[in-house]
Amino acid sequence: MNYSSMKYLSGQGLRNLVRNRLMSLAGIAVLTACLAITGVAWLFTANVNSLVEYMGNQNETVVYMAPDADEETTKLAESAILSIEGVQSATFVSKDDALDTYCGYMEEYADVLDEFENDNPFKANYRVVIRDLERIEQIKAQMEQINGVVKVSAPIDMTHAFVNVQHVVILVGYVLVAVLAVVSLVVISNTIRLSVYARRREINIMKYVGATDAFIRWPFFVEGVGVGLIASILASAIVLGGYYALTISSKNLTGFWNTLMGNSVVPFNQVWYWLLGGFVLGGVIIGGLGSVTSVRKHLNV
Amino acid sequence: MITFDHVSKTYPGGNHALDDLSLHIEQGEFVFVLGRSGAGKSTFLKMILREEVPTEGTVVVAGHDVAQLKKKEVPYFRRQMGVVFQDFRLIPTMTAYDNVAFAMRVTNVPEKTIRERVPYVLSLVGLENKQQSYPDEMSGGEQQRVALARALVHTPQLIIADEPTGNIDPELSYEIMELLTAINSVGITVVVVTHEHELVRRFRKRVITIEKGHVFSDTPAGQEYAGGVEA
Repeated sequence: MNYSSMKYLSGQGLRNLVRNRLMSLAGIAVLTACLAITGVAWLFTANVNSLVEYMGNQNETVVYMAPDADEETTKLAESAILSIEGVQSATFVSKDDALDTYCGYMEEYADVLDEFENDNPFKANYRVVIRDLERIEQIKAQMEQINGVVKVSAPIDMTHAFVNVQHVVILVGYVLVAVLAVVSLVVISNTIRLSVYARRREINIMKYVGATDAFIRWPFFVEGVGVGLIASILASAIVLGGYYALTISSKNLTGFWNTLMGNSVVPFNQVWYWLLGGFVLGGVIIGGLGSVTSVRKHLNV
Repeated sequence: MITFDHVSKTYPGGNHALDDLSLHIEQGEFVFVLGRSGAGKSTFLKMILREEVPTEGTVVVAGHDVAQLKKKEVPYFRRQMGVVFQDFRLIPTMTAYDNVAFAMRVTNVPEKTIRERVPYVLSLVGLENKQQSYPDEMSGGEQQRVALARALVHTPQLIIADEPTGNIDPELSYEIMELLTAINSVGITVVVVTHEHELVRRFRKRVITIEKGHVFSDTPAGQEYAGGVEA
């Protein structure tokens, strides 16, 4: 096919988009709905995943230093902790800080606590945030080997529970998105098939005047891609617009809802390009391939 | 131009459409093919167009054994012929000009050539003033002339007309037949499938009648067709 034919046929495809506006609108509406639903399912999964991860990270691992550990040993221990793969941060809490915190909890027993002024029973420690919760047991074991460390307290059971929940959320999310994508493909290819069926006579005429299959397919492909592009723009506007509004309003939450969602909603600027790219790619592939495969069965003349 | 050599065609389900049919049509001939409904005329045309292939025997059109053609060769094979149907088969969303130009566009003819050739061919069939009309704005006779222009536009060796006058008034039928005769006079082979005996008698061309899948009679050009079978 030469450039002149390609240009002519692409023009025909775009004109057909307008000429067959009723079927085009049906295709755009169905594809927009399918893309939007799939996008919402993906966002929901990403946010539940983020929420579970956030809740898991609230459980700190505490690394207790030996009472006789000197300043240098304590410093070296910090470097050793931070060098372990999967550790996000380590905050030092001195013996005095630990005592102050404890005193704050038990103000009514001030007399008893005064006794601790000269004989502080608390140990200096590091509050460690672990990024890779799946490795918490290994990380705990590695930290126990560090010189000057006497004990590591890690919420292993709770963390395992969170990790399991996270796995289920991700699995269910992927299955949901995959099922919705397949349903979208079936629905949109049926809509396109209806549109092509209505124009089977046109295809038949093209075959009789000696048009090659590629020549017949091209305008339908352009038309399908056009439907896909328009649908992806609409789906992006709906889903991204809605999500942007949600992220803005989540900043104004108070109380329990702020604790639950305020810190775990995936920021808009981390997802918009994924969604936009996915919608455009999905729309173009589904629209283009749907059209071309629907034409195929009418080409055997 | 066209040779059917002991051709039989049996469709899945056991319907014998053609039964040992043999005939030969020379380059430049004008032939009427007559036959009643179900006689095998449609299958005969489908084989010329390579829409069907024989179960037995060979069909050779313009030097090509149709059964040996690969799928990708079929469009190029069809470009050697022009086809006119009873129901015109124009693309309703295209003007008369674009319907005719379409047959050239499929063969990658440059736009400049199309702009020169299409108005000329439309003027040959008397439609120079209807170039921008859509099919539903034209009469049956005009639509058939557009179809004829489309069949002619890439100067084919062979024109196949399937009941070309079936959907138009008797007076206009003669006009269409006159046009086909004029086309034949420049050496293009014309095969017209029809059931109109009066038309056949008037033009005194070669008449082949098909009955029960084989040639029932073959009346040479210039002889009066006696009406061998009621079509």
